[in-house]
Amino acid sequence: MIFEVRHKTHYRYSQPVAQSQHLIHLAPRSDVRQSVRSHGMIIEPAPAMRYDGEDAFGNPVSILDIEEPHREFVLKARSTIATSTPEAVDFSRTSAWDELDGALYGEGKPCDLDVVQYRCSSRLTPATRNIRDYAAVSFAPGRPVLEAAHELTQRIFRDFRFDAAATDVSTPIADVLRTRRGVCQDFAHLALAFLRAHRVPARYMSGYILTKPPAGQPKLQGSDASHAWISVWSPESGWCDFDPTNGLVVAEEHIVLALGRDYGDVCPISGVIVGGGHHTVSVGVDVVKVGHNEAR
Amino acid sequence: MVENVARSIEARASLIGSYRAGNSDGYDEALDDRGEIRPHWRTLLAAIDELGTDELASRKSRIDRRVRETGIAYDIFSHPKRPTQRWQLDLAPVVLSVADWQWLEAALVERAQVMDALLADLYDSAGLMRRGIVPPELVYSDPSYLRPCQGVVPMAGPLRFYAADLARDRQGRWTVIDSHTETLAGIGFAVANRVVHTHVAGDLFKRANAVRLAPFFNELQQALASHAGRENARIALLTPGPHHEDYFSHAYLARYLGFLLVEGPDLRTRGNNLYLKTLEGLKEIDLLIRCVDGRLVDALELDPSGFAGPPGLLRVNRANPRLVVNAVGSAVVQNRGLGPYLNGVAEEVLGKPLALNDAPRLWLGDDKARRHVLANLDRYVVRKAQEGTGRPGHAAVGRYAQSLTAAEREALLEEISLAGAGLVAEEAIGFSEAPSFEGGRLERRPFAVRLYVARTTSGYEVMPGGLALTVEPHAAVAQSTPEGHTRDVWVLSDDEQRPHVSLWRPMIETARVERSQRVIQSRVADDLFWLGRYNERADWVMRVLRGAYRRLVEDSGSEDGLDAARRCLEVLLVKDRTAAGSDRNRDQDLGRLGKSLIADPNGARSLVRTFENIYRCANLARDRLSFEAWQTLARFRPCDTYITALSGAEPTGALDLLEEGLASLAAFNGYMHENMTRNFGWSFLDMGRRLERAFNLSEGILALFVRSTDPEEEMPALRLILELADSFITYRSRYRLDPSLPLVLDLLLLDETNPRSLAFQLAAISRHLEGLPDGQRGGSLSEDRRLILGLLTSARLTDVEGLAAGPCRSELERAVAEHVRVLPELSNAIGRHYFNLADEVPHRTQGAAS
Repeated sequence: MIFEVRHKTHYRYSQPVAQSQHLIHLAPRSDVRQSVRSHGMIIEPAPAMRYDGEDAFGNPVSILDIEEPHREFVLKARSTIATSTPEAVDFSRTSAWDELDGALYGEGKPCDLDVVQYRCSSRLTPATRNIRDYAAVSFAPGRPVLEAAHELTQRIFRDFRFDAAATDVSTPIADVLRTRRGVCQDFAHLALAFLRAHRVPARYMSGYILTKPPAGQPKLQGSDASHAWISVWSPESGWCDFDPTNGLVVAEEHIVLALGRDYGDVCPISGVIVGGGHHTVSVGVDVVKVGHNEAR
Repeated sequence: MVENVARSIEARASLIGSYRAGNSDGYDEALDDRGEIRPHWRTLLAAIDELGTDELASRKSRIDRRVRETGIAYDIFSHPKRPTQRWQLDLAPVVLSVADWQWLEAALVERAQVMDALLADLYDSAGLMRRGIVPPELVYSDPSYLRPCQGVVPMAGPLRFYAADLARDRQGRWTVIDSHTETLAGIGFAVANRVVHTHVAGDLFKRANAVRLAPFFNELQQALASHAGRENARIALLTPGPHHEDYFSHAYLARYLGFLLVEGPDLRTRGNNLYLKTLEGLKEIDLLIRCVDGRLVDALELDPSGFAGPPGLLRVNRANPRLVVNAVGSAVVQNRGLGPYLNGVAEEVLGKPLALNDAPRLWLGDDKARRHVLANLDRYVVRKAQEGTGRPGHAAVGRYAQSLTAAEREALLEEISLAGAGLVAEEAIGFSEAPSFEGGRLERRPFAVRLYVARTTSGYEVMPGGLALTVEPHAAVAQSTPEGHTRDVWVLSDDEQRPHVSLWRPMIETARVERSQRVIQSRVADDLFWLGRYNERADWVMRVLRGAYRRLVEDSGSEDGLDAARRCLEVLLVKDRTAAGSDRNRDQDLGRLGKSLIADPNGARSLVRTFENIYRCANLARDRLSFEAWQTLARFRPCDTYITALSGAEPTGALDLLEEGLASLAAFNGYMHENMTRNFGWSFLDMGRRLERAFNLSEGILALFVRSTDPEEEMPALRLILELADSFITYRSRYRLDPSLPLVLDLLLLDETNPRSLAFQLAAISRHLEGLPDGQRGGSLSEDRRLILGLLTSARLTDVEGLAAGPCRSELERAVAEHVRVLPELSNAIGRHYFNLADEVPHRTQGAAS
């Protein structure tokens, strides 16, 4: 499918801002599952300096330095992306979760660091006893890794309630596990912590899902805003994406912006300002299907 | 006489003799297996023997005093209630032989090369991880491995600073307990120790033919200047600030090497450059010597709560990879878990294993190691793999499984199984012992030693000295001596030492002509301004107290001036009305007011608060103060007993103490006056003092001559104000009369030749402001200049006869009250004009989430 995504972020400050710097992850990355047809950003006020590059995870990143005093900061990103449905994976035929070491550190072949690095807990996905114990139910010895991962995401979907008022960006996952409420970002972090506590490579995916559902189907949670889900590795099928918020295996409706260890690596916009007093931020996201993928 | 000599011979004999008679647990640095003194200790021990116990004791107390005066300490302000940690420096150094040193030097250079290569590889192609020589999960679990620094670190040039903590085991083999690649690891402490120690034991140092440090630092200075890449480069040392336990080391080193001492908020980024906020606007920084945690240097790309560096630093660093040393992200190679894998790296880098290895250690991210340790926990000490390295004496404290409670043990097992990748397990190692001078005897004390390696233009060089710390014999692995019993480290040489080259006084050929245009950070200008104000405030408060106590002691009836003194005291206590008002017992009342003004922790202008503020400001501006000036502030240190003694003293005793305090302040001001270059920093220090003096004087006059006009009180009040303003002698010699109000007012308010008069202060402030960069565009005056012009002009136009006339003195009241009102405004205006850059505090905006 071909999508057009418009993502508008608007900061309003009560006092003039003397300098602001922003780190932007709003340009979609190209992926086996998606190709980026076009991307552009409109930034107001215009930055004195703009750096565009790639971060350590291979995501497009922009850094802006705005030196002119301002009371508003507006960033409009617009992208066209073609996605395709990944090949179906037979979860039951993936390697056992407790035998991944053999595939990762096999004799004589170099270690794939792009996989191994996602085995380690990160700042927002720490391992605790409760986390390990909740997940352990799904990790019977010898169980195929994607089967375990799939079951875990289904359990999160079942056991947890989507509640935008329950958490904010700083709520630790230990609290989310206790209250069983949160948003897509919390559920993604929880799933990652569960998997990494069992040393399964798993990464955080930031992006969007289709806003307008097909006729007769319910609208999915997380539309009209940025969305988050996870990707889990197996030696047989590489990375496979799961959406714990919606209890789905990811197909065509998910559009990736960036991936990393956790939200901290891929936050769409983060900034540091001098001055500004209080600020409010409003975000608007529109994801529109503009066509079907032409034959490749 | 004969008996004395005999006793002293006996004491001498016993000093070494009793040391030799004692039992050693480990390797003895000074004695060999047969109990004979090792050759490289002979000169020192013989010299110690010759000096005798009395001389040694006297030298020991000189070291103590010197340490106190230099202010060597950890944690100067870390906890308001806890006294500053005492730093102890042993009279006996640790001596390293020529052979030991040559071996250590070569071994440490190799280690530095291995660390350098490992660091560059981890942030580049990471081949060492891909090939499994270094476990990838060890690196990826380390929060100090900073991914945004990929690609920058390999371009940053070689690792600049490396330090290692060493211990010597029973067999006499050196092992490494900890490595330091993040910051300078307290090298300033080592220099300060050497300077203090040489002051007291320089003769012994020379006799032993030990190697000096100055040539090493000379090399280092040149290497950093050439790294910075241009003539007269602006080099800054980035410190976390006075709250950090190593602040002393940072400030000392910055002064020693002539670098600017800066904190995160002093800096800002713009485009591709790094700038210092100064009085004259932004000034570009060419090289930043980083003494702060790398994770905290850029809130934009790294830890969002980290403001130890300016936001955007990595962006600037990417465009100028050589801007920061050690490169941001360098801490990862000091991870203790790397110990077992370093030899593998050395094989790759050097083609041979390391000569000097880490102490036996297991990384608990490795399955096999973890299972083994979980099953044999009692044999091990468990430590964090990364935390607590850059700090001397504060290495991560090991948890010795044997000494844990059942619950702690359970928690430790849990942590090992959940987060083993961040932990290491170590077996107890031995420490060698060396003679330490304690209580008039030489005692065996185990120690660890920190040695420093720096990259110079000719490759890695090891500082010929170090920081030795006495360790707890039972703290199996870590240097864990927050009490800081330290020793100098002497490296002996067979060569003749080159003439003394101290960096304090550069040789003519290395000296650059540099005339007081050293830039002043806005923050430092602010600190100096307030240092001036608090200093003058303390002076005035002590004078008022002295005036009050004198009158209490010399109570002589109606002319005694007790009321006048009380009014001056009350003004200073204005926040504390409860203490004033009662007339019943004038003596007791005055005494109580005095104590309140001395010791009230909540009094805005109490002496205790003012002293705290003096010390705080002086410490913040420390790299601008001479050592002599700094030393005179010793009694203002938060934990000094001066305030307690003063508030507990009877009036006569208090008078003596006040004289001492005033003398200290005068000494400080004298040093500043004589030694500080007349740059902008001086202007702010002096303006602060002048402004405070003008304010106090105006307030005093307002209290004494306006609100009460009782003629009976006027004579003692005139005497008091002349005394407070230190102008009694001037008045006497000029008029040879009893004080009269018009003459006194002329002398104290209007006489611009009297350095204590109001007009003198205003004229001085005006001159300072004229000399400062204005930055004001167009013809209009800035607010500060407008205010001072108004004050000075009205003072110059004043008619003194008119002021003193009239029963109500409304003219005097109007004039003086005007000063009391406008002077604080002037202070604020100066702040807004010059320090506002310092107030620009960056903060994070909230990201938007789904």
